[in-house]
Amino acid sequence: MLIKLLSKKYPGMRLWLIQRLTALVMVFYIILLLVVWLFKQPADYAGWLNFVTPIWFRFATLLFFLSLFCHAWLGVQDVLKDYIFNAELRAVLRRLVLIALWIYFIWLVFILWY
Amino acid sequence: MLTPNIKKNRPKNLNLFTIRLPINAVVSILHRVSGLSLFLMLPLLILAFQKSLASEASFSHVINFLNSWFMKPALIGLAWAFFHHFYAGLRHLAADVHWMTSLQKARFSGRVVLWLVAISVVIFTIVIW
Repeated sequence: MLIKLLSKKYPGMRLWLIQRLTALVMVFYIILLLVVWLFKQPADYAGWLNFVTPIWFRFATLLFFLSLFCHAWLGVQDVLKDYIFNAELRAVLRRLVLIALWIYFIWLVFILWY
Repeated sequence: MLTPNIKKNRPKNLNLFTIRLPINAVVSILHRVSGLSLFLMLPLLILAFQKSLASEASFSHVINFLNSWFMKPALIGLAWAFFHHFYAGLRHLAADVHWMTSLQKARFSGRVVLWLVAISVVIFTIVIW
């Protein structure tokens, strides 16, 4: 049933599922973040660096933000569809949001690895 | 029989000040508001993250800035948006697997969400102040 609904015939179902899966990824990351925070309790700059530096943490953080950007992209599109009635303005805003999210992504890769 | 004329004459009330939203609608619209606010705050959040890692001096600069009296209310607002979107989102996921979907139960879970948000924001405020 679900597999059938996820076929090309119903593209909205895929978006619906992506919205949910990315939400779950973010929930797990937030729980992970809380647990690691309680263990390490970073109190100063050295502690903060020590908290962020491990390679698994960087990848987890990147995965979190990747999920967030997909989630935000779908969510903001829905908001634009509901409140911006001018099709041209909506298309412009949509493109701006997409560009912004790509910039954020590249920015984060830069922050986490340089 | 319905004629277009009868349809046109239906009573309409779109006055936002006299419409009282049911609790499910309140949770829903706040989910949207909080989600959009979180999206709009993204660049500032990433900027703070970057500055906090850049050097020891800029780390303490970020900490001092966030500790200032005018930034704390903003942080509390951001925390509200996060907590509301988080709890109301979990409620959405529960509804997706058909958990607590009757009107009565949905009203109850809506109240639970609003209370959890309130408690979380109060705890957050106490912790940062």
